[in-house]
Amino acid sequence: MSYFRITLHRSAIGLPQRTRGVLAALGLRKRNQTVFQPVTPDAAGMIMKVKELVLVQEVDQALTTKQLREERKPEPGFWVEKAVPR
Amino acid sequence: MFGAFRPTNALFGGLLWKTPWRLSRFQKARQRQRLRAVDAVVATVDQALAKKGETLKALDTWKAMMPTEGEMLPKDKYTMFDRKEKRYRKGIHKLPKWTRVSQRLNPPGY
Repeated sequence: MSYFRITLHRSAIGLPQRTRGVLAALGLRKRNQTVFQPVTPDAAGMIMKVKELVLVQEVDQALTTKQLREERKPEPGFWVEKAVPR
Repeated sequence: MFGAFRPTNALFGGLLWKTPWRLSRFQKARQRQRLRAVDAVVATVDQALAKKGETLKALDTWKAMMPTEGEMLPKDKYTMFDRKEKRYRKGIHKLPKWTRVSQRLNPPGY
């Protein structure tokens, strides 16, 4: 099963209520938020309504919130070579 | 000379809006970028649906009617038709919310 990975890139401030409603229906509340929608004509139609505001990729797996966070996490800057008993 | 009562056109002449009549080259570059971003979204949706064997009327209409960024004339990328304007063209930045709406087609012959 494939999914659309949809990220809200541009805010909908000042745009018609219909447009904001479409974003709400997609589950997008704030900028840079990412949601996953199954590849269906319904989801595609909604994306077409807000195509100027979102970035879209097609992916095989929907990620959880935790995985999305993990993706964004920077390198810690160190790594443990060998754990030493205290 | 300085301060709240300095004699500038905006302060003494009443309403004076200074919207440049044309886009700068940086604005034009960003406009092209946005046009390409929309093209990319449409292409992604199209490919994903084609793999599933589904069709979408909105998508077919868009593909039939709208030129892509590469196919558009510079005239249509940066200006738009306006019947009140001299030579029937005004900068696209006069369109409200112009960075977040699609405005690609103009009447033929103008």
